[in-house]
Amino acid sequence: MVTTDLLVQSLLNGLLLGGIYAVAALGLSLVFGIMDIVNLAHGHMLMVGAYVAIILFTSLGLTPIVGMVVAFAVLFVLGMALQRFVLERVVGEGMEQPIIVLFGLALMLQSIGRLAFGGNAQATDIGIPGDAIAIGAATLSFSRVVTFVLSVALILGTWAFLKYTTTGLAIRATAQNSSAAQYMGIDTDNIYVLTLGIGTGLAGAAGALLSMLFPITPFVGWSYLLKAFAVVVLGGVGSVAGTLVGGLILGVSENVGVLYLGGGFRDIISFGIFVLVLLVRPHGLFGSSGGGE
Amino acid sequence: MVDSDRSQSRRTYLKTLGAAGTVGMSGLAGCTLLGSGGDGDSSETITIAATVPETGQFSSLGAAVKQGYELGVARMDEQLDADVELIMQDDESDPEVVRQNLTQITSNNEVDMIWGSFSSLLVTAGSAYAESQGIPFIGAFFAYEAPHRNSGYEWTYSPFPKSRDVARSTRGLLELIPEAERPTNVGLWEPNSGWGEEQADYWEETLTDAGYDVVLRETFSLGNQDFATLISQSESANVEALLSTPTPPGGITAVNQMQANNWSPDVLKFVRAADPTAWWSALGDSGAYACMCPGWVPGLTGGGNQAMWSAYESEYGLDDGELIRTPVGGAYNVAQTSLQAIQGAESTDAGALQETLRSQDFETVIGTFGFEDNGLPAEGDLTAPTGQWWEGNQHTVYPDVDGRGAIDFQYPIPAWSER
Repeated sequence: MVTTDLLVQSLLNGLLLGGIYAVAALGLSLVFGIMDIVNLAHGHMLMVGAYVAIILFTSLGLTPIVGMVVAFAVLFVLGMALQRFVLERVVGEGMEQPIIVLFGLALMLQSIGRLAFGGNAQATDIGIPGDAIAIGAATLSFSRVVTFVLSVALILGTWAFLKYTTTGLAIRATAQNSSAAQYMGIDTDNIYVLTLGIGTGLAGAAGALLSMLFPITPFVGWSYLLKAFAVVVLGGVGSVAGTLVGGLILGVSENVGVLYLGGGFRDIISFGIFVLVLLVRPHGLFGSSGGGE
Repeated sequence: MVDSDRSQSRRTYLKTLGAAGTVGMSGLAGCTLLGSGGDGDSSETITIAATVPETGQFSSLGAAVKQGYELGVARMDEQLDADVELIMQDDESDPEVVRQNLTQITSNNEVDMIWGSFSSLLVTAGSAYAESQGIPFIGAFFAYEAPHRNSGYEWTYSPFPKSRDVARSTRGLLELIPEAERPTNVGLWEPNSGWGEEQADYWEETLTDAGYDVVLRETFSLGNQDFATLISQSESANVEALLSTPTPPGGITAVNQMQANNWSPDVLKFVRAADPTAWWSALGDSGAYACMCPGWVPGLTGGGNQAMWSAYESEYGLDDGELIRTPVGGAYNVAQTSLQAIQGAESTDAGALQETLRSQDFETVIGTFGFEDNGLPAEGDLTAPTGQWWEGNQHTVYPDVDGRGAIDFQYPIPAWSER
């Protein structure tokens, strides 16, 4: 029987989970919205970010919050290099080339992960002592609250960067009309390099955050890619606010839906929403054909 | 409902038939005697094909399975007037690779027997191949009964506790607790898999019959990483004994999330999830108290346990306080079963082995048992041992034995703040 307490608990759990879904999807949304590239390796880059945090945690005892910063930096550099030395050379050859390259990269990262880390699940720990936080009859775990706060901070930071910095303005201009942006003196090649760097950096940061909540294996990439897709479709491609709202909706829907329908329905709920939004509102709740904000 | 009288008479008939067949074949063949006590002329080679998950999601258990097989083969070599060749390959925890490897091994060798890998996923893949080729297959590490009942197994034999045995063992475990302190509220987290449902059904039936209340039975998807809702539901339903069959990553996540949500049951039995050492390396002390049913646990006595311990220490060594890992015993028991089948059949002829497997009793490190025609261990023969994590090792807590590694059942699990 679903009591009010249980419902409130599930609602809060869903909101906290939704925050991290949002940040996991943000990089995918930006790259898709600004560069028109579907980064099929996004989930696997997230996995790499998680392992960066895990290595720092297990080898050096560093908190996963530091791991998040390092994972962002590592994946930022990897993303920029990927754009500069690989994708730049195949863009313009057709839509399918970047997709094939990124699909191959995903498989490579998974295989490398398997060779390097085996199949065992690993995780990090925020290491905050004490009990969980009680809010009325609900109990919230510290690690979920921390990851939620960090997720929202990352999302707001990204939004502020795009909204208030000159580089952010250049990125938005490039997203709206790359030719016009070039005429205005914007080096769009560099903007694309930077954008993929930010997108993959966010994937890395999301991976580090996820390692605090869920076990990581080299095989988690595809499942997070699909979740990220669902969030992007729900919120709208390229929309930072939409990504946050999409993530929260997905998290809450899953948690509350599972309460009523049973745990076997979790993925059915996620992808039911995904298909429904595609049918009813294909550009998502906040999306527009114009791309980034 | 099983008619035990009928089952008994059928087994007696089979035993007689098997013995008669064996004697007949021995008389006819004459030259294929492989039992111990021969004149020592090693003219035969027994070839066994096996795959183990050295890489992939079950890799943390693969190394121990391999050790158990290798120790078992050494034992077979000692006991048989024949050389035993074990051709073992990495199946990468992938059922397709199991099939590919077995196809390749059997194409290039005269394989007499196949040994299973680990988990229902991989063992049933190997079994399906063996069934198609008519090669005797012996596999542990899968408790799922339905394939035995529904797949028409003729060549597959599983010396391993099955779902019904796991349920009976759980009841026995709970009955170790003094009645006044015994938990009554049982929660079942049911993975949406065939085995998940089968095991939950057995638990519900067995424990309800014994007077326990199943206050929660909720499903979750294999691969699920968010147990927060199940934890809230369990807390709300006042679950005292929590039973489930998650994968190792799922079980580890669930315990982490129980800790994060500051809730735990009084008894926790996560069959399969708590089997590998990855449980302890991932959870440390937070993984203490968790129970499992891995087939063999340090603490069991008889059936060659002492010989296995000696062989293990001599071959691999053990640090102070370290115990043999549970898959070693399960795998060693596969080799013991094979050895006794070959000795009983006095041949490696597939038909003779099949008859012997169906008719003979086997005594291994996990107990004494016979097989039903469908390859299940005969009902009631095996007392599935329950292990419990304590100070970095798995120990037998049920049945109440006194072998090396056995401990008293640690109950109840204290609150997280008191651990």
